[in-house]
Amino acid sequence: MSQPQLQRLIKMINQIALNMSANGDPKMVGYQVAQHLEKFWSPPMKNLITEQPIDAQMALSPIAQIAIGDLRRMQLAKRV
Amino acid sequence: MVEFYQPQADFGTPMSVGKQLVTLSIDGVSVTVPEGTSVMRAAAESGIKVPRLCATDQLASFGSCRVCLVEIQGRRGFPASCTTTVEAGMQVQTQSDAIGKLRRNVMELYISDHPLDCLTCPTNGDCELQDTAGEVGLRSVRYGFDGDNHLDAEKDQSNPYFTFDPSKCIVCSRCVRACEEVQGTFALTIDGRGFESKVSASQDDAFMDSECVSCGACVNVCPTATLTEKSIIDAGKPEHAVTTTCAYCGVGCSFKAEMKGNQVVRMTPYKDGKANEGHACVKGRFAFGYATHKDRITTPMIRDSIDDAWREVSWDEAVNYTAERFKAIQAKYGRTSIGAISSSRCTNEEVYLVQKMVRAGFGNNNIDTCARVCHSPTGFGLKTTLGESAGTQTFASVAEADVVIVMGANPTEAHPVFASRLKRRLRQGAKLIVIDPRKIELVSSPHITADFHLPVRPGTNVPTLNALAHVIVNEGLEAHSYIEQRCDVEEFERWLTFIGNPRHAPENTEEITGVPAADLRAAARLYASGGNGAIFYGLGVTEHSQGSTAVMAIANLAMLTGNVGREGVGVNPLRGQNNVQGSCDMGSFPHELPGYRHISDTTTRQLFEGEWNVTLDSEPGLRIPNMFDAALDGDFKGLYCQGEDIAQSDPNTQHVEAALRALECLVVQDIFLNETAKFAHVFLPGASFLEKDGTFTNAERRISRVRKAIPPLSGKADWQATMALANALGCPMNYSHPSEIMDEIARLTPTFRGVSYAKLEQLGSIQWPCNDLTPEGTPIMHIDQFVRGKGFFAMTEYVATTERANRKFPLLLTTGRILSQYNVGAQTRRTDNNQWHAEDLLEIHPHDAEERGISHDDWVGVNSRVGDTVLRANVTERVKPGVVYTTFHHPVSGANVITTDNSDWATNCPEYKVTAVQISKVTKPSNWQARQQSFDRQQRGLLERARQ
Ligand code: SF4
Ligand code: SF4
Ligand code: SF4
Ligand code: FES
Repeated sequence: MSQPQLQRLIKMINQIALNMSANGDPKMVGYQVAQHLEKFWSPPMKNLITEQPIDAQMALSPIAQIAIGDLRRMQLAKRV
Repeated sequence: MVEFYQPQADFGTPMSVGKQLVTLSIDGVSVTVPEGTSVMRAAAESGIKVPRLCATDQLASFGSCRVCLVEIQGRRGFPASCTTTVEAGMQVQTQSDAIGKLRRNVMELYISDHPLDCLTCPTNGDCELQDTAGEVGLRSVRYGFDGDNHLDAEKDQSNPYFTFDPSKCIVCSRCVRACEEVQGTFALTIDGRGFESKVSASQDDAFMDSECVSCGACVNVCPTATLTEKSIIDAGKPEHAVTTTCAYCGVGCSFKAEMKGNQVVRMTPYKDGKANEGHACVKGRFAFGYATHKDRITTPMIRDSIDDAWREVSWDEAVNYTAERFKAIQAKYGRTSIGAISSSRCTNEEVYLVQKMVRAGFGNNNIDTCARVCHSPTGFGLKTTLGESAGTQTFASVAEADVVIVMGANPTEAHPVFASRLKRRLRQGAKLIVIDPRKIELVSSPHITADFHLPVRPGTNVPTLNALAHVIVNEGLEAHSYIEQRCDVEEFERWLTFIGNPRHAPENTEEITGVPAADLRAAARLYASGGNGAIFYGLGVTEHSQGSTAVMAIANLAMLTGNVGREGVGVNPLRGQNNVQGSCDMGSFPHELPGYRHISDTTTRQLFEGEWNVTLDSEPGLRIPNMFDAALDGDFKGLYCQGEDIAQSDPNTQHVEAALRALECLVVQDIFLNETAKFAHVFLPGASFLEKDGTFTNAERRISRVRKAIPPLSGKADWQATMALANALGCPMNYSHPSEIMDEIARLTPTFRGVSYAKLEQLGSIQWPCNDLTPEGTPIMHIDQFVRGKGFFAMTEYVATTERANRKFPLLLTTGRILSQYNVGAQTRRTDNNQWHAEDLLEIHPHDAEERGISHDDWVGVNSRVGDTVLRANVTERVKPGVVYTTFHHPVSGANVITTDNSDWATNCPEYKVTAVQISKVTKPSNWQARQQSFDRQQRGLLERARQ
């Protein structure tokens, strides 16, 4: 998958995180966002986002960063 | 079973809803009926027909013709049986010499002013006047035909579907009453008195120039040939009929397709259809000619590249060619490089087979449906809050509503038969709150004025709904004990803190939403304390970047006020296409198996794996927009698209077209060469709803039969085509009838466990869930508890769309539908419905028009951040300043060339309803339109070459 695709996914995660932001503290919301991605995203989309090292260039919101960490853990857990 | 044609039974007056039973005697027969029943109806129910002219069970009795006279022991004179209600112990005589004489006298008067051309009359053999003359034994007319009469009155042929021949009119006023009581349009009146009296449309206009919306209700009830379908005038009386379901909108009206051999000569709304109870709109009633239009493609076609001419081939060749190409793509690019889009216009059984083929045959979950672009937020929002992805009520339940909220929906245009029910209730006094950027017809129409119209700025539904909830909480109007008993109280408390924040107060949201605080407060009070509150909403709620949030906010409002779980209340999505509900139910989303069960759920997966004898992928597949993105990235190469026109209906047309061009194998199954098919490599001819058996599920969760009226023109119904493709791919399917597919669905889906064709035959229709607990279905959901257990108050934070008006794009464009056209218009554009709407127009407020030097009918350019198109202007105050509006029924309009690829945060449902635009006067079509027209010419040429 390509760079524009990655940008689109980042935009989507930020949007999801923002819309769920009232659900609780950032940690809890981050986890809920990860659950949302796990539930609705296809594996190539999940892989693309979790395989990137999170860096400042990616313009990810703080909740989105937590979510990607949680999603990565969920994926690892499935592989075990 | 052949059903010979006969007019539907008519009991003379409507059924009474009285609870007490009354026993009387009619012609010596003891009859028991509910109190409030007319003598005429009581007689009819016991098999005794009293002659009548002005009465029909579709309308309240009127008592004008005096043909239905009877004798009642102990009463003087001859009371009219249609206006006399039954009483216990009543002794009624429907026949006697005296009655016979009186009836003949009345008939004689009618017939003396009626042409005696029965043998050549279009309704010969199907005319109540003729029947009644026979029933009363009329043998001569003493008055002659020399006096004043109306025999030379001029015929009105203006309506494309029916004629009005006043020379045959008996002024029974059934038509006038049908237009008022059934349709609610009030287009007809009886002008003049006595001999001068006549039926008049609007101000004595031709029907086409009047307010008539061509629903056909007046034609249904006319007892003479005065109002007659042109198709009947042309073809004559039908000889057999097939009961089926309309394939247009989500109301799901039931019809008799009345036939002469294999020709449909009339579609008559079926009185026993529970969604419509004998009513219809111009689409279902009259716009069926597309099914045999010359543009139908009935032979499979293939080509290697979209620049090649099509080649007509056999079904076998087309199917094998597709299977080979799909297999080759998967071998080269991987298992997930192909997918399918199922159709909300096809039957449940067909949709089920497409998702089965994807999951079991393609070996992935890349299946999505056009509901993605309309009601996916409904699925998400209602499942999250209430526990089931569906509306809570029957349409009929609106008759018990006291306050109705219509939000982001325009029922009189898009769900007309439901609108008629709603208008009836509003005329009886129910209150109405309309939340919509436009002044839709319901805001102010004959005998109806909305109590509140909250004219939200496009994109601000969520703060409006939050403000309504805030007022209810703030003023202590919530249903405390309901919430305590039925909802998750801990979550409710959290939500209470959120919603109680003063930022949600209407005085603070007014600036964002444009809704005056005082109106919003008053509307909130009305909904919370006005009795049964029912909410109906449409795509104006879902097609936003916060569509899912808005659906959850609606559910919150309903729970907050205790308005879920009984008659007259509820949360009701008005579904766009005929089978949106069904296509979602049938597992069309990439993350869900039929019955909304997540693909990662091992137990559910195992159930399907056992039945299908495969191993299923446990991960969700691609959604439609993800498919487009992946196609542009080169990861997605093959698509099977059944009965959808994504090139026209999906947002950001240039993006969609680029994605379609990037595919190595696009298979389109449709009845016409639609816009998407112009990018296809394989065309599989589809079957119209008249050509197949199956079921549709309407917005009430009502499963109704679709019955084959004519054989498939291409030789295969759509389910047979999918089956052939699946088999060629090595995914065995072997059904001999769609009923077997339904049996499989029932075996695998708890909410459908009790559904079968035999039961549908017996009950007429079934609202799911239907299982051991509810063997006859579930009209009202969540009665004692919510499907999810405790109702969940979701947080509904408002995140504004990034699509904002600015100096460059100062106006907000929103889109919608019109009564006579349907969706992308592929069907209705190929009928006379075009006479009402031949092109999409841009509605613009006079103030905005003047500022830009635009006059009515000018060509205007519509520019957005992603594209531009050209439409003709309709300068109107229906839209408020700052907002423009258009429909998307004609491909050349390119409405989706300008819509962006913003989408709902939870479901990716596109944000069709908000696009920032600039409007300017222009003189020629846009570049896209010029390109589209030349591409269209090229593709039509390639089709012509195949046909030669
Ligand atoms: S047009 Fe038909 S229904 Fe209307 S008044 Fe005349 S006869 Fe009756
Ligand atoms: S077709 Fe419908 S709207 Fe038109 S006059 Fe008849 S009842 Fe009224
Ligand atoms: S209301 Fe909808 S379902 Fe009913 S006839 Fe019209 S288009 Fe068909
Ligand atoms: S049918 Fe009773 S008065 Fe006309």
